[in-house]
Amino acid sequence: MGSKGVSRRQFLKYAGATAALLGLSEAMVPEIARALEELASGKPPVIWIQGQNCTGCSVSFLNTNYPMVTELVLDKLSVRYQPNVMAAAGDVATKVIEDTMKDLSGKYVLVVEGPIPTKENGRYCTFGLEDKMVPFLNGRQRREDKPIEAWMNELVPGAAAIIANGNCASFGGIPAANESVTGTTRVIDYVAKIDKSKPVINIGGCPSHPDWFIGTILDYLINKKVPDLDQHNRPKAFFGQLIHENCERRASFDAGLFLEDWNDNDPDLKLCMFKMGCKGPVTYADCPIRRWNSKVNWCVGANAPCHGCAEPAFYKNLSPLYEPLPDIHFAGISALPDTLGWIAAGATAAGIGGHYLYKQLGKKEEGGEE
Amino acid sequence: MAELISIDPVTRIEGHLRMDVEIEDGVVKDAWSSGTMFRGIEMLLKGKHPWDAQQVTERICGVCPLVHGTASSYALDDALGVNLPDNARLIRNLTLGANFIQSHILHFYHLAALDYVDVTAVLNYSGNDPVLQEIKGKIAGLVAANDPYPLLPRYESNDYVSDPTLATTLVNHYIQALEMRKKAHEMLTIFYGRMPSFVGTIPGGVTQQPTISNVAAFRSRLAELRDWIDRIYIQDILTVAGVSAYAPFLTAGDSGGNYLAYGGFDQDSKGNVKFLERGVITNGDIMNVKDFDEDQITESVAYSWYEDSTEGLNPRNGKTEPEVDKTNGYTFLKAPRYNGQPMEVGPLARMLVMKPKMLVDLATQLNLLSTPPFQFGILPRHAARAIECKMIADEMDKWLDQLDINGNIWDKKDLPGDSYGRGLVEGPRGALGHWIHIVDKKIGNYQAVVPTTWNASPRDKDGTRGPIETSLIGIPVPDVNNPINVVRTIRSFDPCLACAIHVIHPEHNGVKKFRVV
Repeated sequence: MGSKGVSRRQFLKYAGATAALLGLSEAMVPEIARALEELASGKPPVIWIQGQNCTGCSVSFLNTNYPMVTELVLDKLSVRYQPNVMAAAGDVATKVIEDTMKDLSGKYVLVVEGPIPTKENGRYCTFGLEDKMVPFLNGRQRREDKPIEAWMNELVPGAAAIIANGNCASFGGIPAANESVTGTTRVIDYVAKIDKSKPVINIGGCPSHPDWFIGTILDYLINKKVPDLDQHNRPKAFFGQLIHENCERRASFDAGLFLEDWNDNDPDLKLCMFKMGCKGPVTYADCPIRRWNSKVNWCVGANAPCHGCAEPAFYKNLSPLYEPLPDIHFAGISALPDTLGWIAAGATAAGIGGHYLYKQLGKKEEGGEE
Repeated sequence: MAELISIDPVTRIEGHLRMDVEIEDGVVKDAWSSGTMFRGIEMLLKGKHPWDAQQVTERICGVCPLVHGTASSYALDDALGVNLPDNARLIRNLTLGANFIQSHILHFYHLAALDYVDVTAVLNYSGNDPVLQEIKGKIAGLVAANDPYPLLPRYESNDYVSDPTLATTLVNHYIQALEMRKKAHEMLTIFYGRMPSFVGTIPGGVTQQPTISNVAAFRSRLAELRDWIDRIYIQDILTVAGVSAYAPFLTAGDSGGNYLAYGGFDQDSKGNVKFLERGVITNGDIMNVKDFDEDQITESVAYSWYEDSTEGLNPRNGKTEPEVDKTNGYTFLKAPRYNGQPMEVGPLARMLVMKPKMLVDLATQLNLLSTPPFQFGILPRHAARAIECKMIADEMDKWLDQLDINGNIWDKKDLPGDSYGRGLVEGPRGALGHWIHIVDKKIGNYQAVVPTTWNASPRDKDGTRGPIETSLIGIPVPDVNNPINVVRTIRSFDPCLACAIHVIHPEHNGVKKFRVV
């Protein structure tokens, strides 16, 4: 028996699921199983806090299949603080954060969903309470609100790794459009104010795909290092290729067969969504292959355009969402105009999902750690 | 001597909620509800292409994006003068219905159940069911390793369900429910692409034609969900409602007797007939359902972090000027009022307006309808949610039958230069309205009034408490360090704070007047 009632057989099962998630060969399963077994003997603590969020990335997390939520939350990770699932509330809940910071400094993974507002002394996002009393109605006193800024200041120094989960935490997303009012700050920028050397992994997507988020955590835990990241600090395993390159409707694009009327959408034709505003040609994510919600569908699969939600430019700089991208060359995407230069700069072609991880595990083997 | 205790975060809800309660002689004497996070979603829509509104507003909330996207689509349809094809109406009903199922299952099992089930009682399970034995092994492993997060710690209480077989069965249903709510999302994505943040509804219709295969794929999942709702969800609600220790919660947690429903799920192309009916109930007089009049809605900011000059406006003319240092302010939520009165919205309000036989029978059986004024507390709120979940799931099968695989799904309309539109719908958490004003083919103004703004609202200018605040008065708190009954009461409303706080900054809120529709 492995630790905590999890059998060797179960580890192999998880390892198989993890290999599938990361796009790895079956040959790696024993190696991953060994790494997972190691982890389970001291499950990595996770503290998941929420800034200016909508909880969409937490709900998306619940849609995971490989591994299942219960396996993740109970068997693989020690999810100490996650406000939507945890039993505790109030001081009982925040004491868990305080204890983890004290007892497991340097060991916990900090997950942040939603960005950090910094104006008005952090008043635009608070949770938990300070001990300090402040005046309340009719001469009463009550404990002061604790801004998420204060939590970040305490949590960042002891975090082993920091994951900005979803587009809002990673790039500002929707709340950043109101930055002038609330001082919305990306997680990576806030962390840099505390410790420039602390790595932040950005998981794009509005919401993040459960595989992107969970795959990144597992990857980090197995390899004990931050995965290969692109220029926007996104794991290349999941954000290495353009939607457009792998789109099941690419042939229609090349042939000039475009959807122009939603009543004319015989599903067998698989018309290209470009003229309806598809942002697939400028969006790096593996949605066409990975698909969503247990692979049932994805945006283009529903006869709708990709809105580019995994990109730093989402939402503000990809609007209008239903207008075609400007001046794009229909022959292909190699000659992007200057107006799309912000994207072109990120066009470093990475290997297919998981390739880099395969290499790293391979190195470990060569290094004689067997 | 009254003692003020503060609960923050209120967990297992959506968003950032703080609750302050004053305890005297072991019961709640007074309560203050504070929403503590602000983004400002609507302001970024000004000047944008009107078609973007649905994609942006569905991101107000990641738990109930469907209802925002749907309300927004109806608001755009209204502004564009769309004649919505039946297929589009039915697919919008089916997808919204799928998210009701998802949301209601998630709420009872994953947000609320840990308030009632003692997970440590699983350790005493001695039966032979292999599934339950496996659950026992899992929990035992966590406890032995001294790493029982996130199931423990919790507020301690002596009235958790501690019968080992029942507790283990409920934990098993918690795990099954994770799969069921996921399946409801999958069902939704057959037409809408993905979830959360879906793409299948557009101004004038939907994007995905019904086909023999996608209707069959939807129906097979629906059949499985309907079976599970009937066999498990409804039965578990009845079981918990029958626990003698919880008998006080049949009436404790009553929000004051005012209920509001806009009506939801259009049954005809004009939306004149709704599957969930609209109406207003006041002072607990549930036999007297009054007509809903949109003009009776105003928003008070007397205790909200907004300038007093914006007091008492109808949301169509709404203004929002943040003032975080306001002396009496204690929340980012405004206080919506109907004819000056606070209103509970959500499943209980809808079921009391509609009074389906299943609800009336249960309420009679539980002796809730014997002597007026009737009171409906924590448990009826959960029961109404489950009954509604079953009713919607059953109705969805009929909507599937009505889809026409040769019919249109879109009424293409050009953007008007200047036009108003509104969409009033029902979401899992209650009545939702979106209002749009198109100016020069762009969004001139956009407003949303959201369920939790009604339920979790603060006091208004008359000092009248919001529904959740009122529902807490008299709730027993024998131990101030473990105010379990306070969070039980709050969670019965299924609050969503991200939805509730979503206002426009004054600089960008230029349009003052909406047409009265």
